[in-house]
Amino acid sequence: MAEPRDPNQLPPDGPPTATATPDEGNAGLPSARVGTGELHAPHDPLEPVPILAGGHDDTSLTQVLFDQVWRKTPRGWWMLLLPCLALTGLLVFALGYTAVYGIGTWGNNIPVGWAFGIINLVWWIGIGHAGTLISAILLLFQQQWRTSINRFAEAMTLFAVVNAGLFPIFHLGRPWFAYWLAPYPNTMRIWPQFKSALTWDLFAISTYLTTSFLFWYLGLVPDLAALRDASTTRTRRIVYGIFALGWRGSSRHWHHWSIAYLLLAGLSTPLVLSVHSVISFDFATSVLPGWHATIFPPYFVAGAVFSGFAMVVTLIIPARRVFGLKEVITIRHLENMNKVMLATGLIVAYGYSMENFIAWYNGNGYEAFAFANRWVGPYAPFYWLMIFCNVVTPQIFWSKRARTSIWTMWIASILINIGMWLERFIIIVVSLHRDFLPSSWAMYRPTWVDISIYVGTLGLFGTLFLLFLRFVPAVAASEVKELRHELHEAAHHEAAGGHGG
Amino acid sequence: MTGVYVLAQFADSDALFAAARRLREEGFQDLDAHSPYPLHGAAEALGLRRSRVPLFVLIGGLTGVALGYLMQWWMNAVDYPIIVGGRPTHSPPSNIPITFETGILLAVLSAFFGAMALFGLPRPYHPVFRVDAFRRASVDELWLSVRLAKGKDDAVSQILTDQGALQVTSVEDDE
Repeated sequence: MAEPRDPNQLPPDGPPTATATPDEGNAGLPSARVGTGELHAPHDPLEPVPILAGGHDDTSLTQVLFDQVWRKTPRGWWMLLLPCLALTGLLVFALGYTAVYGIGTWGNNIPVGWAFGIINLVWWIGIGHAGTLISAILLLFQQQWRTSINRFAEAMTLFAVVNAGLFPIFHLGRPWFAYWLAPYPNTMRIWPQFKSALTWDLFAISTYLTTSFLFWYLGLVPDLAALRDASTTRTRRIVYGIFALGWRGSSRHWHHWSIAYLLLAGLSTPLVLSVHSVISFDFATSVLPGWHATIFPPYFVAGAVFSGFAMVVTLIIPARRVFGLKEVITIRHLENMNKVMLATGLIVAYGYSMENFIAWYNGNGYEAFAFANRWVGPYAPFYWLMIFCNVVTPQIFWSKRARTSIWTMWIASILINIGMWLERFIIIVVSLHRDFLPSSWAMYRPTWVDISIYVGTLGLFGTLFLLFLRFVPAVAASEVKELRHELHEAAHHEAAGGHGG
Repeated sequence: MTGVYVLAQFADSDALFAAARRLREEGFQDLDAHSPYPLHGAAEALGLRRSRVPLFVLIGGLTGVALGYLMQWWMNAVDYPIIVGGRPTHSPPSNIPITFETGILLAVLSAFFGAMALFGLPRPYHPVFRVDAFRRASVDELWLSVRLAKGKDDAVSQILTDQGALQVTSVEDDE
């Protein structure tokens, strides 16, 4: 990489997007996306680092991206799967125990009627939101760096929402009547009460699960077809052939596919904002000090994105190493995600300060007490740990060295995951445990059932994620190939002296 | 009518589009391109009309909004009125979240299943799958396919070869 050359030009026959180091070359990234057919001025000084490294063509990209599916199951995969399966077994046991003996086995009491069941619902849904943000919002903003990580993040969304859904269903106490939540004609001749934020939850979460799944699957179909066609054994051909639904890469199909994919992204974007807003309504529409705040919807959405990006970083760092995806998921992706964490972390910090300010400013003694109780009450260490994890930790991402250091960002992302769990604990348990009358006060302690269910969902998430990594390409191959061609075309366009767009 | 698919591989999309235009000038309209990723300019080269998916989504979304709102109004204000918190039985602000969600849900379902209907999928079998070389069309090669009546395929193969196809083959449409 010695000879100096215009970073926007690629040799006509040389490897496309040819630079392997982040510091040089290939600044020219067109901003056109699916279906517009036009390439805007490729030179963007804000994007100096390549989003694809290694100089691959379509054939070698296929090999790199599908290798994770073709190769013999690595031993490390089994070593991770077994503990995850064990935890999933624990989850099944604890849920069964809850179903048989009732939610009296949980630590919930009066006044803390909502505890782990809701904390973990909000935490898991929040984690899911980064997936939708990456796949949908960044697609609409034509951020091409999303292409390498969107499949991964969407899968994370799907599995997180599955886990989230378990909690409210089992919190019902009689989960076998969960279908009573749905408006269906029944012999009791009654209907759900739609003025309750809890019925809004049902619609928001089930719509979110459906949308996430269909969006993920539509993006996956072309890759399943490629897997079917590139596979060497008959079994794989048949199995992937079934899931590929008969896709044959037809331009007549791509024509509808591109617009359907874009529309699903467009629909997911307001959906993701609405889902966490609706969840925050569970709290904000009540009259409880600490919950009754108009800032809740935006503050919950920002917190969700914050925790979700932290989870993507936590998972993607080991995965890109184990599956050899460093040329597709480059340091630039990680750095961009760290920037998003810094930005959303600042919004969350603003949310905390505004909550405290309003508690002081509105002159309501109960509100002021609820916040003083967070600062110095019996759960105060959790509050200050949350402030450390969510407000102090992301500030290191002001430094480029921290943003590009793998270990720093990995540890920071884990701290943020912990901090965001604590945030929900503080909002729910700490606001509830000191009720209006001191005679009603009580402390909350989770039981072994609570902890088993929570840890069990981590195991179920891990299990589903490992199965995903084993059987489905974690990077959207068709989109990476399209991106490669866009970059290539743009480079030629620029080289030929044409005017972009 | 039994027909034949003529399949031709091209080195790049420009050559493929040129061949497609040439064949359309010759009067062959049943053309298709096959590629591992969406080709820019394929719609123009193949003369495709605008996709109807957006229309499906619009209709689906509006239906979802209407049904969602009517459901809440009818269930909570007409069929089984419940008075909660002193609010009227028909309380529009509290109906908004579910109306929004049902609108999104039906729009999403119409986008996905509308696209599937336009694709004609799921359809696990297709005659072109019998050509072994064609399998790479979903991996790393670009192919053009023409469906025509039996007997004309030699002429079309010749045109495609003249247009610079790397390989040309044909397969009978037995449906």
